[in-house]
Amino acid sequence: MNQSTAPSLHDHTLEYRGVSFAYPGADAPALSSISFAVHAGERLGILGPNGGGKSTLLKLTLGLLDLQAGEVRVCGRSPREARREGLVGYVPQRVDAELAFPLSVRQVVTMPLVVNLAPWKRVPGEALRRADEALSMVGASELAERPIGALSGGQLQRVMIARAIAPRPKLLLLDEPTVGIDVAGQRRFAELLQSLRQRLGVTIVVVSHDIRTIAAGCDRVACLARTLHFHDSPSGLSPQVLGEVFRHDIAEVFGDVHVDGHAAATCHVDAGEHAHHHCCDHHGHEQGAAPGADPKETPHANA
Amino acid sequence: MRTLEYLGDPIMRGLFLPGIVTGVVIAIVCACLAVLVVLKRMSFIGQGVSHAAFGGMGVAAVLGLTGASLTAAQAVGQFSIILSFCLAAAMIVAWMSARRGTSADTAIGIVLVASMTLGAILMSVAFKRQGSQGPGWESVLFGAILSVGWADAIVAVIVSLAILVVLWWERRKLIFWAFDETSAPAFGAPPRSPRIVLMVLLCLSIVTAMKLAGVVLATAVLVLPGATALALSKKLARVIVISVGAALLSLVLGLVASMELDWPPGACIVGAMTLLYAFARLAGMARDSVGGAGAPA
Repeated sequence: MNQSTAPSLHDHTLEYRGVSFAYPGADAPALSSISFAVHAGERLGILGPNGGGKSTLLKLTLGLLDLQAGEVRVCGRSPREARREGLVGYVPQRVDAELAFPLSVRQVVTMPLVVNLAPWKRVPGEALRRADEALSMVGASELAERPIGALSGGQLQRVMIARAIAPRPKLLLLDEPTVGIDVAGQRRFAELLQSLRQRLGVTIVVVSHDIRTIAAGCDRVACLARTLHFHDSPSGLSPQVLGEVFRHDIAEVFGDVHVDGHAAATCHVDAGEHAHHHCCDHHGHEQGAAPGADPKETPHANA
Repeated sequence: MRTLEYLGDPIMRGLFLPGIVTGVVIAIVCACLAVLVVLKRMSFIGQGVSHAAFGGMGVAAVLGLTGASLTAAQAVGQFSIILSFCLAAAMIVAWMSARRGTSADTAIGIVLVASMTLGAILMSVAFKRQGSQGPGWESVLFGAILSVGWADAIVAVIVSLAILVVLWWERRKLIFWAFDETSAPAFGAPPRSPRIVLMVLLCLSIVTAMKLAGVVLATAVLVLPGATALALSKKLARVIVISVGAALLSLVLGLVASMELDWPPGACIVGAMTLLYAFARLAGMARDSVGGAGAPA
């Protein structure tokens, strides 16, 4: 467990202290008393069900929502300052971009580098060089001149990662990066993140509801379901923990079941590059997560 | 050729020239905006805003601010009234859409009809008062080149230059926002202002195009050149150049047809634009079938 309430340290790329957030008119807060710190160069996986507050956490980190309680620091700055300085790279869950736009891949990757450039200035050669370098790092150099609408799903994702790393951010945020990607693609993706971390020294935060994405190569894992639960490694995710985190998802599929966590499921998480998970109910059927774990029995620490 | 006769005669040239100058600046401005309007699927909001202008024209008509012989102050006054209606319509649509139970689609439909109704009543009152001196329904709906005076042309040139300067100034933010509205703010692009800037520019260009192209056809100028260019190229700079070229060519063809056949200029210009769009689509389809899909210029 590594949550931090101590004063900000210089090697903390991202730090949350007592952050709560509620959307106007909502019955319950989206986030409640979130405190954690991510060290420079670390890779954190945040696992959580849909509606667990993952998007809210990302928006707060990007400074796109106003803080209501607590403090968020990105490289010692406010999220907005960090975003303005290009310290945060972001890879969206879905590419909502208008892919019919008549732009080349290189133009798209250059966009974050020039969006706030003075209007009278030409695009500097340095920006183009950085864009090409980012494309090279994700193995997409040969796509530079292609129209953005002419890419496959996997190519588009690599281009979106290149766009995120082109400004050389200190923190890279990835939102559900492996949705719709097959197992082989997920493995390549995990390798790509590892290589980016080695080459750029960038701190990586991956947010997902898919345990395979989180388990593959993350140093630490946090489970987010309105509150945050920390684990030192993906192997610390017990069936009981998963049962509690995904309780609402499970209830939607199986009804509101209350079964003892040990009897209900056996769950194995492999944190290696061939990460996968098997969760079987006591009848031997494969399921997405362990149902019905009693929260009171959950042995993890609450943030 | 009636066109050559008209342009050779100093008196006739003096009557037509303000409309032609206005047409040229509108074609350039609208063609640039059209690329964004098509890519951001904003044609229907443009339609709503342009019909909202009908209400503004009704108010201007009641106040006597119609016709080609307006003074500069009257032309500015008329422009301001119509622009206020368009901006108010855009804001009401945005406000209604932000609330539960009303989609943007419904909001645009309601605002469009409400403003048309107001315009119809007010203009009917004004036209009865003016008798045969009034501009008439046809010119309000479909445009009339002779209804554009020098004061209108000067206002159109100044407004168009302003629109082009803002477009150039904001180009990087607008393009990033238009390409990826969801993610652009995460990269330091402003989250809301590009949409507001584009809506204000749209309102300004629609009001500028109104007299020449008419209420019904003004938005076509904000859609067809962009759609034509996007059917022909996948490179942004080239798309903008083709869009401006298509708009100017349609203007020339439309105005000549209008003078030769004595048809409404707005309808002729938009008709020419529609034909060019059809040709562009056919050319795009032919190119794809010859060179394979995904091999645009």
